[in-house]
Amino acid sequence: MTSTLLHPRIVTAFALLLVGAGLSITAWQGPDDAMLVPRFVLTIWCATALMVLIGELIRRAPVAKAQRSPLPLLMAAVLIAAIATASLGFLIPALPLVALTLWLFRVRQPLWLVLGTLILGGGLWFLFHHVLLIRLPTLLASGLI
Amino acid sequence: MDIVLAAAADAFTWQALLAIVVGTWAGIIIGGLPGLGSVVGLTIFLPFTFGMDVITSMALLIGVYCGSVYGGSITAILINTPGTPQAAATTFDGYPMTQQGRVGEALGWATFASFFGGVLSCVMLIVGAPQLAKFAVNFGSIEVFALVCLAMLCIVGVSRGSTLKGILCGMMGFLFSMVGSDPITGADRFTFGQYALSSGLTLIPVVVGAFALSEIFVRFASRDDEAARIPEARLTFPGLRDIGRRMVELLRGSFIGGFIGALPGTGAAAAAFISYASAQKLSPRRQHLGKGEPDGLIASESSNNAVTGSSFIPTLALGIPGDVVTAMMMGAMVIHGITPGVRLMADQAQTVYALFVVLIIVNVAMLILSKPSIGLFRYLFKLPQGFVMGGIVMFSFIGAVSVRGNPLDLIVAAVTGLLAYVLRRGGYPLAPLVIGMVLGPELESSLRRGLLISRGDFSAFFTHSTIASVLFVLIALFIAGTLWSGFSQWRKDRAAAGTPAA
Repeated sequence: MTSTLLHPRIVTAFALLLVGAGLSITAWQGPDDAMLVPRFVLTIWCATALMVLIGELIRRAPVAKAQRSPLPLLMAAVLIAAIATASLGFLIPALPLVALTLWLFRVRQPLWLVLGTLILGGGLWFLFHHVLLIRLPTLLASGLI
Repeated sequence: MDIVLAAAADAFTWQALLAIVVGTWAGIIIGGLPGLGSVVGLTIFLPFTFGMDVITSMALLIGVYCGSVYGGSITAILINTPGTPQAAATTFDGYPMTQQGRVGEALGWATFASFFGGVLSCVMLIVGAPQLAKFAVNFGSIEVFALVCLAMLCIVGVSRGSTLKGILCGMMGFLFSMVGSDPITGADRFTFGQYALSSGLTLIPVVVGAFALSEIFVRFASRDDEAARIPEARLTFPGLRDIGRRMVELLRGSFIGGFIGALPGTGAAAAAFISYASAQKLSPRRQHLGKGEPDGLIASESSNNAVTGSSFIPTLALGIPGDVVTAMMMGAMVIHGITPGVRLMADQAQTVYALFVVLIIVNVAMLILSKPSIGLFRYLFKLPQGFVMGGIVMFSFIGAVSVRGNPLDLIVAAVTGLLAYVLRRGGYPLAPLVIGMVLGPELESSLRRGLLISRGDFSAFFTHSTIASVLFVLIALFIAGTLWSGFSQWRKDRAAAGTPAA
């Protein structure tokens, strides 16, 4: 029973319902004028999320066997790099992220890994930031890196 | 007639033609790279125009603009990742065609429909700009509200088989668009005390996250699967007979795009969704839409490229930029001594006609340059998958952060990417998320302004004008039609379930 309830589709639907309900509380506590449309939207959100949840519970999709995958590592790397950009600038978080992406997608030869990281990470950053002058977040106030 | 010939002579200088070729080709490539779109393209090329004359500089920028709108369709078709938000609707049928091994056909239809829509909107611009501008002025807040409501209904169509999940994702996208300051009162909404969120969430990071980053996660999860390999890009133009067979769809998409572009504040992404919604109701092959039907591609691509021409109508005739891109173009015009507004046609008619001629040449250049551009993408996608995915990660990050220079946009893209992956695994369609975010702000602001005009009386919306009444009747017919077809399908399924197998 517990394993059925912990099915990813049911958990997703339940999480969406919870988020919708939480945001609804915020919307109903806010100013009437500004929150007029959000209240309407969130009401539809909660109603549809509830119906989706009931649908998922009735359907009882088969529980897939859990597999070990490094995908959460890639996801975490993307999120950490995105958060780190605000304080470390664009280049420093981008290099390890590109290297990890290449590694996970099976570019394992050291030469190709280093070249790929430098060209895709460093090269594109240099092209946009210094050549095309599309200013990306920087570590130093001077804008060098 | 003399003025048109003089304008054509201005547009056919070698400098202008060179600018068109460089701008259009660069636009196609920039548009094809996930996250980088018209805004980034124009930002890159604007400084180069300062030393050029008016027509050459505008030729370069118009080339970048039109090229980038078309270029977005290439990666939308090849890897289910629209290069620009305008191409999000292209994924609905473009990617299924790729999965069916019809890449050449899909790219061919996308290219031809883009060319057709672009040229037809130029003709509309030349013939009917003043009339269209006058008609567009009749579209006040209430009419725009009705039009956007009609477009919102395409959520039902694009989430066939999971309508409830589609509506839920649509509301999610709508709510994303509400984060930040309220457009009417300026009150903060859903910022949770975070100052950084006051400026709101913009479309590009959400599209980058929802399509590009989530696609990387999906491809990573299936990296051993042969079916997940990127197919070889090639271009097969449709034959004359095929074009004739789908001429109504081409004309409908182009006219819808041409008209939507003339309305200030809508834009190419909204036009593509509205056109797709109309194809879902009117195409003779509508039952195949979403499963790899060229009519869906035609609806999306002809309309979003038709916007490139007609978006100049409010910009040139009224001095009102329709969106960020046309605002940048308007800024470039002012820099080069063209002052958009009601006096423009009287004061600088030759320059305006020269711009119209440039627009037509750009569309022809786009058709010619499509083959070498797609050839370049074919070369890029032949690289090992790791390099392609590493490149997409970098372009996604650069694209997300470059529009406003705000690191928050990068976090938004990353979080949306994770969320989109979870939603895709749960069977939620992502297109409604983008539709909600594209159409949501216009829906809300037109509703709120309409309520102010009607002193809070919503029932007055239905009788405000003939245009509004007609649009609301169409909405009612659409809802009734959808409910009826759903009920019929349910009865058929029930009858089939009750019939014993032979």
